[in-house]
Amino acid sequence: MLGWLLLALAVGCGAARVAVGYPRPQRRFMRLARGEVAFLSAAAEANYPPGGDVEASGLDAEIPAYVDRLLNVSHPRSRLQIRMLFFLFEHATLLFPAPGRGGFRRFSSLWPEQRVAVLEAWAGSRFWQRRLVFASLRAILTLGYFAHPAVLRQLGLAPFVLESPICEADLLYPRVGAHPTSIPYARDDLTDPSDGTPIALDTPLDPRFAEGAR
Amino acid sequence: MSAPSRRAGDLRVFAQYDRDFTEEVDVAVVGSGPGGAVVAKELADAGQRVALLEEGPPFTPADFEIDGALSMARTMREGGLRATRGTMMPTMQAIALGGGSLVNSAICNRAPDFVLEDWCTQFELEHTTARDLDPHYDAVGRFLGIAPTPEDVLGERNLLFKRGCDALGYASEPIARNVRGCRGSGECFTGCRTRAKQSMDISYIPAALRSGASVLTSVRVEQVLAEGGRVLGLAGRVVAPFTGRPSHRFRVNARAVVLAAGCMATPVILQKSGNLANRSGQVGENLQFHPGVAMMGVFPDAVNPQFGATQAYQSRHFLRDGFKLETLWAPPALLAVRLPGSGAALKHRLAQIPYAAIWDAIGSCNRSTGRVLTRRRGLDPTLSWRLHPADLEILAKALWALSEIFFAAGAHTVVPGVHGIPEELHSRSEAEVLRTHSLAASDMVLGGNHAFCSTRMHGDPRRGVVDEHGKCHDFENLWIADTGVFPRCPSVNPMWTAMALAHRTAQTLADRL
Repeated sequence: MLGWLLLALAVGCGAARVAVGYPRPQRRFMRLARGEVAFLSAAAEANYPPGGDVEASGLDAEIPAYVDRLLNVSHPRSRLQIRMLFFLFEHATLLFPAPGRGGFRRFSSLWPEQRVAVLEAWAGSRFWQRRLVFASLRAILTLGYFAHPAVLRQLGLAPFVLESPICEADLLYPRVGAHPTSIPYARDDLTDPSDGTPIALDTPLDPRFAEGAR
Repeated sequence: MSAPSRRAGDLRVFAQYDRDFTEEVDVAVVGSGPGGAVVAKELADAGQRVALLEEGPPFTPADFEIDGALSMARTMREGGLRATRGTMMPTMQAIALGGGSLVNSAICNRAPDFVLEDWCTQFELEHTTARDLDPHYDAVGRFLGIAPTPEDVLGERNLLFKRGCDALGYASEPIARNVRGCRGSGECFTGCRTRAKQSMDISYIPAALRSGASVLTSVRVEQVLAEGGRVLGLAGRVVAPFTGRPSHRFRVNARAVVLAAGCMATPVILQKSGNLANRSGQVGENLQFHPGVAMMGVFPDAVNPQFGATQAYQSRHFLRDGFKLETLWAPPALLAVRLPGSGAALKHRLAQIPYAAIWDAIGSCNRSTGRVLTRRRGLDPTLSWRLHPADLEILAKALWALSEIFFAAGAHTVVPGVHGIPEELHSRSEAEVLRTHSLAASDMVLGGNHAFCSTRMHGDPRRGVVDEHGKCHDFENLWIADTGVFPRCPSVNPMWTAMALAHRTAQTLADRL
């Protein structure tokens, strides 16, 4: 009887370490669970700390919100794979601890310097599978970092505003999912095609990326 | 089942399907990428009743996502996260009206003479020399306005490549592209907002519609219908854009069917149709890619890489050694994912991007082959492929050549992005490590550019799926017109060759109907 009780206690403690105790996120997410938000916030901050050559941190760049949008438009199989990746990273330190005191905790519960050490261990592993897993995580974080207008503006890489000429195809195709009756153009609306004038580097930025967009 | 009333020459989108339907046409073409769009337009011009079927939707500029990952999630199968097994390598296939031409960089190269001679010799082909294909290349080139990229939209990162090649005596040239009025926005991969790129959705498909072809979008072909040695038509489902959720059923009865669904989808359709056209056993076999490697070089002065045609300069100097070199630009996020490091070091590297250029190499890896395998459910394939050790040497040599050109062009730092090699190299002598270090495939970040050969042409029906005109050996009225018919990788970007072969296929088919 005592054995069963101890086993149940151990299982309960294990489950708690995996799934319980995450803080409530400050905003609503379409796809991300509470633990995933905590993990992504921790990983974003470790990979893109505040300050340095690019001012914005991973948290400033709202990486969890971007990943939520990405998951929402992803193929179901991809979505599952990405979530498994987060789970793996978040809980790997329960089996293979981070260096230092208290290393046997979830990634999101580690001290900042421990998180950096864990990421570096994955990145420099002699096992290519482990490096590949890390590269996948870092790719997702980087996509999120670069999706933020402030990051692109600071690097001078924000897209320019561009007028799209109205061509024959614009009379044929509605927006994705819409009915052809919603096509706003008629033959009289056709404009001259692009004349090939090179874009000047001082062209205003696309409004979605301009100062004040976010 | 009955067909909703519709004029010939109409385009139909997802919102218009409200019931099951049946179509009667002369030719049904599956896939609206460069192969299928050319076939549809040429056959419609020849007076045939043509239905062009595409699983993806048409995109307008308002639908383009500038963000690289979100764009891929909407325009690529499996959200752009498809990868090979064996040697792990990401690869992509578009799902959109216009196929890959909507989201490629418009590079147009004729297959080199020595490649076509090799095809003819090794695969028992009689009419696929440069002389045979030139009229077809010319016809496509005239229609799309294929021309070398003008100097005023090259931008510094393309010109630096030229300077590096010139300094080393390597031949290089501006890339010919299917573009009219390019402004150098560098947005080819997420959809051309200036409508300069002559992707199929704004060139061949409107022309096919003008000539009376029907274009059905958001329809997934699941089966080729055949009976008694003849193909009868196609069957499938209407599918919702992005989610792929199936709804109404359709059938297209046709005197001939042309599969142009792409090298990774056409074999799956054949296999799902009862292993059709596979007496040779070659359907889905012989899969080849042009594996790619890329490298970043940092220069002392600003490069402003966001300006300039996406890929506008190339060197074919090393083609016979097995690789081609070219410039590259993509949404910054997609480029940055290749950079090594984390934390402050990574941020420092990101801050160098405005001073950087990224160039890449594609390898003619003929010895590295794989298979397209069908999954039990759905039409997405499983791809197995393995990089041959001899082809690994080609890619290592290509990396060295790229670093050499960077330093000759004035770069002070090169970031090779190869495991086991220093994260930064600062001189040509330091870059020697790329030649001396023994690399494994898993050390490199490979990209699976261009896919070929999964339904290859061969003069011997026992060793290939189609003849050199694209007709299946096993059927009189089943044809294939995508890069799957290439017998070997062409060593250069394949779109123009795929269109030239499709142009010939259309002419041959029109003559026989």
